[in-house]
Amino acid sequence: MNFIISLLSTPAVLLGVVAFVGLVLQKKSATEVFTGASKTLIGFLIFGIGAGAMTGALQNFNKLFQYGFGITGVIASPEAATALAQSTYGFEVSLTLILGFVLNLVFARITKFKNIFFTTGHSLFFSCVLVLIMSAHGFDRTTTILVSGTLLGFLSAALPQFCQPFMRKMTGGDEQAIGHFNMLGYGLSGYIGKIFSKYEDQTTESIKFPKWLSIFRDFLMGLAIVMLLLFYVATLKAGQAFTQELAGTQHWLVFPLVQAFTFVAGMSVLMTGVRMFLAEITAAFVVISEKYIPGSRPALDVPTVFPYAPNAVIVGFISAYTAGLLAIVVMASFPSVFPVVIIPAAHICFFSGGTAAVFGNSTGGWRGAVAGSFVVGLLLAFLPTILYPVYGTLGIEGATFPNIDYNVFGTILHSILQFIKPL
Amino acid sequence: MYKVLVACRAGVGSSLMLKIKTQQVIKENNFPIQVEHGSLDALNGFNGDAVVTLIDVAEELSSKGLKIDIIGINNIIDRNEIKTAMEKFLASKGN
Repeated sequence: MNFIISLLSTPAVLLGVVAFVGLVLQKKSATEVFTGASKTLIGFLIFGIGAGAMTGALQNFNKLFQYGFGITGVIASPEAATALAQSTYGFEVSLTLILGFVLNLVFARITKFKNIFFTTGHSLFFSCVLVLIMSAHGFDRTTTILVSGTLLGFLSAALPQFCQPFMRKMTGGDEQAIGHFNMLGYGLSGYIGKIFSKYEDQTTESIKFPKWLSIFRDFLMGLAIVMLLLFYVATLKAGQAFTQELAGTQHWLVFPLVQAFTFVAGMSVLMTGVRMFLAEITAAFVVISEKYIPGSRPALDVPTVFPYAPNAVIVGFISAYTAGLLAIVVMASFPSVFPVVIIPAAHICFFSGGTAAVFGNSTGGWRGAVAGSFVVGLLLAFLPTILYPVYGTLGIEGATFPNIDYNVFGTILHSILQFIKPL
Repeated sequence: MYKVLVACRAGVGSSLMLKIKTQQVIKENNFPIQVEHGSLDALNGFNGDAVVTLIDVAEELSSKGLKIDIIGINNIIDRNEIKTAMEKFLASKGN
């Protein structure tokens, strides 16, 4: 019995079992079932290995930054934050994710919110946010999973609706929704764009960009450049003596180079793991929704809207990152209000800021793109400061979840829970 | 049997759906195509016949002088579009 409990409370095994069930239900061959279930399990373990590498580099960055600037610098990367939590809360997070999928299908079946949320990586991070908030309030495993899974399932079905007016305008149809947990931000950006509706025709697509900017389209390169800058700034401010202590036998100026790239390498490994462990589960999710939820609409990851305005993506990245840098200055200037400084990660500003700009561009041309993504950039930076202390009570420090929907609904949940004590 | 790589920038969200849809199309039509899945970084060392990706990424790749075919898809959930693209690819290979 102990063997069974230990086996199934290992998140990797648990997800492997879910994939196994999904594959059997799809009547796959024995080889396909075995391969698919094993790869899901292996994928989750790879995810953990990437998480470990990222966490190590992140801790070094936090030490350097803290010593150099006398304030806590927090990297706004949901991957890194999930990495910090996965060894302790992996079980709750995995079950929340699965329950969230199931309830997304149920809500799409019984309510008018017909969206099926397929950006499963994002569901994973949201599960983590919800589980951490529930755990911080002292709820037991079962309650945590039930509440988190229900919220995840409902929001997965409902939130894409907020962006749908703009999706209809862009895609010219109603078959496709956006599925990325900044949907409040993207919708907001679309409405901000309407302020500039007079200039709707002056779009981002007539702008010529210098060629080197396209390097930020490469997800790992954008992250690498920003991490290098961050590590060197923190290292130079912390000084030789302190850095050398961390670096051991390595030269103190080589240390930040290797650490920055280790962070990026960890991210690459982590994403490979996510890709592997979600592949089979997502495939089953697709098959089930197509079969049993008539009239459902897939909510897809943000690159599906990039072709509608590829230039807007670059505009949005620059605008959102600028907002993030401005936010750093504000946070560092008012330490009594902001206990930590949230540092924007390149890939988040690229995907989230970029998408906000595509939405803003659709209603207000380049002016809408710039304004919408700037506001989203500010939200990505300031909103996480509210929940950061909550995660801190669980020892999740140094990285946090920037995404707007995580923070808005996370904060609402946190506020409600302050009045409800666990039984 | 041909081998194609379904890829997107991060290799997780949009390409995963595109891979699932591409596999459905291949199975329905018995196309002689085998699918791999990854990020654009997986292109280095990929020894197959084509890369399948979103249209804007495909346009970007077209300037890079790849030795394999580039298949750009506008709507990743549109099976008809994927089917037409696959048929065009197979025809270009003399099938």
